[in-house]
Order: sequence, then structure tokens, then C-alpha cells
Amino acid sequence: MMIAFILLGALTLVGGVITIAAKNAVHAALGLVGTLISVAGLFATLNASFLAATQVIVYAGAIMVLFLFVIMLLNANAPITGRDPIPFVRELAGLGGVVLAGSFVILAVSYKDPLPLAGATAALGGGSASVVGETLLTRFLLPFEAVSILLLVAIVGAVALVQRPVPQPDDVPDNEPELLAPPVGSAISRGGNQPALQHRNDEGEVRA
Amino acid sequence: MVPTSYYIALSGILFALGMVGVLTRRTAIMVFLSVELMLNASNIALVAFARSWGDLTGQTAVFIVMTLAAAEVAIGLAIIVAIFRKRETTNVDDLAAMKG
Repeated sequence: MMIAFILLGALTLVGGVITIAAKNAVHAALGLVGTLISVAGLFATLNASFLAATQVIVYAGAIMVLFLFVIMLLNANAPITGRDPIPFVRELAGLGGVVLAGSFVILAVSYKDPLPLAGATAALGGGSASVVGETLLTRFLLPFEAVSILLLVAIVGAVALVQRPVPQPDDVPDNEPELLAPPVGSAISRGGNQPALQHRNDEGEVRA
Repeated sequence: MVPTSYYIALSGILFALGMVGVLTRRTAIMVFLSVELMLNASNIALVAFARSWGDLTGQTAVFIVMTLAAAEVAIGLAIIVAIFRKRETTNVDDLAAMKG
């Protein structure tokens, strides 16, 4: 158990360092994937088997795919070079990080388990889906439902944020024929809108 | 059995790493990745405390934090894409119109 903790903990920290230090954003995202999978392993050593599975599926699967997709979509994998507008930001941040980590470690060392660890672990029931689900749907039913509404709002918000205004064929003024030509690249960004384009092309031909 | 304090120490170091990333990285996406690092550090601490107290509340909280992280990433990346379309950059130094 101790060996597993040391290995997974080292992998977690190495992945974290790659995440914050890698020049290429794709490398950083892959370092974060390593961290997330190691954290899933740590959950397994803590008798949280359901959370370990969820961590791999939701975090390392869905969320990281979204990240990599956006990094490649925006072509943002090149680092920003040039002088940082804030002087000594790296040194100050490193110093702050060392101080914060040191205080956390001191706090952690002074922590005493309130119960005998073996008995407390047995009370978790292995952290299986059935026990976690029962807690979630009885004691924490209201937060559970609130989070589901939050997810719905997030879906609608994400679509609304990236949506481009769809030009209607009726909106094009009749006295400006050059507007009838479809803008370059619009077919790619508005995938699945081919019939509308076809319609406008037909109109243009009729007018010509 | 590994003592809880080891997990808490690991979580604290990971959290500090994430904080350094948020402070030093200058691309909005990299700042987001560092925030994910901090969220995971807090998740480790929650699960470790859940085992320490023999109570499933901590594990339930981690489940809700994961859902929140998914919602945050969806909205945050949508905002980044929208900004990139308008400004052609995701450098947080250039996005200081609000003087924040």
C-alpha cells in the first residue's frame, strides 16, 4: 500500500510539474492527463472505487478531450514569449508556492486521525457505486438536483456563447446583390447548412 | 495502511503547484489547466478525510466537485473560444480591458 502511494504520488507531482512548466500546451494537457489518472489510482488506494472510475471516465476522458480539442482548434500550443509585464512574477510565484506547500505539509503532519483507520475504512463500504449513490440520493438529494440544473444551464450557456448569428435569406436587401454571395468559410463554420447556401446560390443565379 | 497526513501533504503540494501555474502561465487555457490541478488537489484531500472519518460525505462532495469542474470547463472554454474569435488572442496580458 505504501509503495503504491509513493509511486502514484510521485507520478501525480511529476504530471503537475509538466502541466505548469511545459512550453507546448498539448504537452501540458498530456501531463495533466497523467496527474488525473494517478489521482484516480490514489482514490482507489483510499477505498473510493466508484470515484476512481468516475475520475478516469469524466476527467481523463471527457474534460481532457474538450481541453485538447480547444487547444488544437485555437492553435494555442505555442508559448507566449517576450517580457512579462509583471516584474519577478516567476520568482514571487515560486516563493509563494513553496511557502503555501510548506504550510500545508506542516498542517498535514500535525493532523491526527479521529478514529482508528481500519475501522473507519470498513465503514466506507469500499466506496462502491451503491453506497455512494445511496448517500447522494438521500442525504444530498438537494445538492444533487441543484448540480443537475447547473449542468443544464452550462450546456445552454456554452451553446449560446459560441453560436454565430445565422443569417436569414430573407434579411438580405434586394438592392445589394454582392451580399448574396456566401461569405468565405461560412460553409465550414455552419456545418449542415448546405440547403440554405444552395438556396442563396440559386437566387444569385436567378438574379444574374 | 498509509496515514491520512501523507495524503493531505501530497494534496497541499499539488495545490501549491496549481497556484504557481495560475500565477505564471499567460495563456488563458494554461491558467485553466492549472485550476484543474488545484481542484484535483482538493479532491484528494476530501477523499482522504472521508476515509479518516469513515463518512461518505467527503466522497459525495468529490462527485459534486467533478460535476462543477465539467460545467466550469464547458463555460470557460466557450468564453475562451468567443474571445479568440473577437480578439485573435488568448494571452491574458492582452485581455486587460477590465483592468482586472
